[in-house]
This record gives sequence, C-alpha cells and structure tokens, in this order.
Amino acid sequence: MQNQNVDNKRALTVRRTGQRDGFIQTIKEIIDYREMIKAFVRRDLRGRYKGSFLGFLWTFLNPLLQLCVYSIVFSTILRAGIDKYYLFLFVALIPWIFFSASVTGGATSIISQKEMVKKIYFPREVLPISVVTTNFVNMLLCFIVIFIVIIISGTPLNPIALLCLIPVWIVEYILALGMAFLTSAVTVYMRDMEHILGIVVMAWQYLTPVLYSYDIIPDKYRFLFNLNPMTHVINAYRTILYYHEVPDLSTLLSALVMGILVLIMGLFVFSKLKKRFAEEL
Amino acid sequence: MESVNRDREEYSVEIENVHKHYRVYKDKGMELKEKLLFRRRNSYTEHKVLRGVTIRIKRGEAVGFVGHNGCGKSTLLKMISRIIYPDSGTITTRGRISGLIELGAGFHPDMTGRENIYTNAAIYGLSKKEIDARLENIIDFSGIRNAIDTPVRTYSSGMYMRLGFAVAINVDAEILLIDEILAVGDGEFQAKCLNELRTFKERGKTIIIVSHALGQIEELCDKSYWIKDGLVRMEGPPKEVHSVYLSDRQENI
Repeated sequence: MQNQNVDNKRALTVRRTGQRDGFIQTIKEIIDYREMIKAFVRRDLRGRYKGSFLGFLWTFLNPLLQLCVYSIVFSTILRAGIDKYYLFLFVALIPWIFFSASVTGGATSIISQKEMVKKIYFPREVLPISVVTTNFVNMLLCFIVIFIVIIISGTPLNPIALLCLIPVWIVEYILALGMAFLTSAVTVYMRDMEHILGIVVMAWQYLTPVLYSYDIIPDKYRFLFNLNPMTHVINAYRTILYYHEVPDLSTLLSALVMGILVLIMGLFVFSKLKKRFAEEL
Repeated sequence: MESVNRDREEYSVEIENVHKHYRVYKDKGMELKEKLLFRRRNSYTEHKVLRGVTIRIKRGEAVGFVGHNGCGKSTLLKMISRIIYPDSGTITTRGRISGLIELGAGFHPDMTGRENIYTNAAIYGLSKKEIDARLENIIDFSGIRNAIDTPVRTYSSGMYMRLGFAVAINVDAEILLIDEILAVGDGEFQAKCLNELRTFKERGKTIIIVSHALGQIEELCDKSYWIKDGLVRMEGPPKEVHSVYLSDRQENI
C-alpha cells in the first residue's frame, strides 16, 4: 500500500498517439534521453577504430594525411600562392570534414540501426544527434592538432579571436544537425540518397571556399556563395585561426540564421517521416 | 468532470477504436531507379491488420493477447510502445513503458556487460543517476556477476537473455510489454522471471503479454483478449477465453 501511494504521487507521462506530438514535447523527450545520446557517442568514439593497428590515432592521422595531399597539389602543382597554405587549408579542412561526415554519416544513421528502430521505442532523433555529436567531438579533438600546427608555424594566437571559436562551433553544429535530420529521414524512404549525397557533398566542398580563398570568387557570383551557410562558417574559422582576427558579426549572424532555418526544416521533415520508419525499414 | 478524469486515471493503457493496415508490396523497390522505372510494380495491396480495436487496461492489471499468427496482437504491442502508429484511433498510455519485446536489442558485442547495462537502460530513457542507482540490482538479478566485466560477445544466449531481462524489469516502468520471451532461458531462470513479474504486478504496475503459451498467461494474467480478424473477439478470464479460442482453432483445422 505504501508503494501504491508513492507511485500515485509521481507524475506519469501521458502519451496519446492520435494527438500530434508538439515541438516542445519532442525536445523535452530528447533531453530525457540524453544518456542514450551520451552512451552512443561514447560507443562510437571508442568503437570506431577498434581492431585497427593505430586505433584512435586515426582520428588525427586521417585529416593530417588529407592535408598532405591537398597541400602538395595546391602549393607545389597548382601554386595557389597563399602564404602558409597548409595552415590556410588545415583550419578550414577540419571543420569541413566534420560537416561532410555529419551529412553523409547522418544519412545512414537510421538505416544502420534498423533492428533497433524496428524493435524498441526511443525518440528517433537520438540517432542523427548521436552521429553529429560524435563527429563534433572528433573535430574538437582535431582542434588540438590545429593549435599545435599554429604554434609550430610561429604565428601568435589571438585570445579574443579564439573566444569567437565557441559561437562558430555552435553555429556549425546547428547546421550539421539540421542537415543530418534531413538526410537521415529521407534516406529511409529513398536509399539512393546515400550515394547521391557522396556527389552532393563533394560538389558542396568545391562550392565552399575550403581549398581556395573567398577573395578569388568573382564579384558577380559572390551573392550565390553567400547563400551557402558553410561559406560564412569556413570564413569565420579562417579569420580566427589563419588571420588571427575577430570575425565579422554579420557573417556569423547570417550563418546562424541559416543554420536555425535548416535545423527547423530538418526537424519538421524528420517529424513528418519518423512515424513510418519502423514499417519502411 | 472531476470524477470522469479520475476514472480515466485508473487506466494505464487505453486503446480506442484503433485501425491499422500495412502495405504489402508485391515487389518493393527502395531505389530511385526502381521507383521510377517500375512504378507499376510498386503497387501494393493493403492488408488490414486491425479494424477497430478498443481495449482498456487498468493499472495493476496483467492481461494477455492471444490469437493466430498474424492476427495483429504483436502489431498492437508495437503500437502501445509507439514503434508504429495507428492509422486512426488513439492509444493513451500513462507512465514509462518497458518492453521485453526484443531482449538485448542494442547490446554491443564488444562492450562489457556493465557497459551494455548503461547503454541498454539509456535506451529506455533513464538518466545516469537512475542507472547508477539500479546497477547493483540489475547485476544481482541477472545472476552473471562474474562475467559482468567481460564483453557480451563471449556470453551464451542464455546469459544474453538474463542480462536483457534484468535491465528491462529494473527500469522502473509502469507498463511492461512482453512478446513471447518467456520461452527462453532455463527453467530456473524462467521461474525467477515469472516470480518477478508477479511482484511487479503487485506493485500496481501493468503487464501485457503476447504469447502462444496459454498456460503462462493463465498463471499470471487476470484477463485475456482473443483477437481474430483484426477485432477483439472475446475478453474475460483467461481460462474461459482460451477454451473458446482453442475450440475455434480446432474447428478451423
């Protein structure tokens, strides 16, 4: 009887399927499941390189090797003529890898957990969130390498500019999350998405000033590049870490606004499609 | 109004006039090419699984769903846990739901039993603090304490089940859904499970079982629902319902 009383006092979560799950309710539920997100991120980070000889080192080796390839091509063959090109590239490449890995990895986040989605209930949003967060943590780890490279290159770090990294990280996370919601949900219904995205992400990279400088974009095309939120994000990283200056507030704000729009759109599409995930998989 | 509300609070699960159909694709193409090229092949027939089911389950009640294969009882269970959604009608649940539908789903073979307890309990929506508080209970209940820090890929299927059950029963759910799982494990562990389910029920929690093992339902449940052709054909004390269900099955053979 004692037990009964205790139970009665506890507020029970009432769920009704007929009624639409509100936006706020979805967010609340995701927060309730934060431990699941943490567990998944931990598992992915640890499991990622399991069985490979160099293990966790690949987190750093992978971008470093990519950096070598691009640096050789662009500073000795194509001659971009940019001072310390390796640094110019590196500070943009690491954030770009986070974004592209989130978009492509996000796409398969639901279909790769097919068995779980079909058998257990949990807010489906957890899956893309976990993938993006894993990649985000990976990027933060790579920033350690970035800082080391900057220090080795002999340029002084600007502490005020460095503080601006935090909002830039947040903006990029929002953007990547929004894209992951979109791609993960659509891929369940259209498996081609996975392959289409490979090309889309590659094209997107070339349409973002990652390998080259924003300054060489012809004026008449600039407005198009400005519609790409990643242009602003990459520019901000470069301003902070390569030019050691505080980035333009307006640049960051427009990236933030676009990021939030993408996130809302992603959440909306996801919430429309998630109800039939278990049946479509 | 007050009293109506209070009456409703008594129910932990309310299934109101629920309809559900599945699309049965003749030849399903998931790729864009297939979707465009073979648009006609993508035609599907609609298979009605449930056609207006209303079931109200009180708190502290244990009920069983029985019926032929494909009668829709598992679909019903999946809808209660919100894995799939009804086409029309509503399902209201009050309190956390734990399912012994797929024990150990989400276990990661390379992680230890202890790590998997955390992940698995997190999948039920528990916070770290809540899991910490239950960890010892879960390990005790599983009875595999000496193997808890080895990776679960080294576990036997029985140990796997034990751990899965131990987590599912200890997440402090108000509603427990069980789909044909009591058929696993050795006799001793089965008895332990049944015992635990009884205690669970005595604490005022709700249990819903889908099973072909009618004996288990009779042993544990207060009420049985026989589902046939997407409708509740009969409800009542398990023994009565089961005898009618069994004789109906005899006739159809």
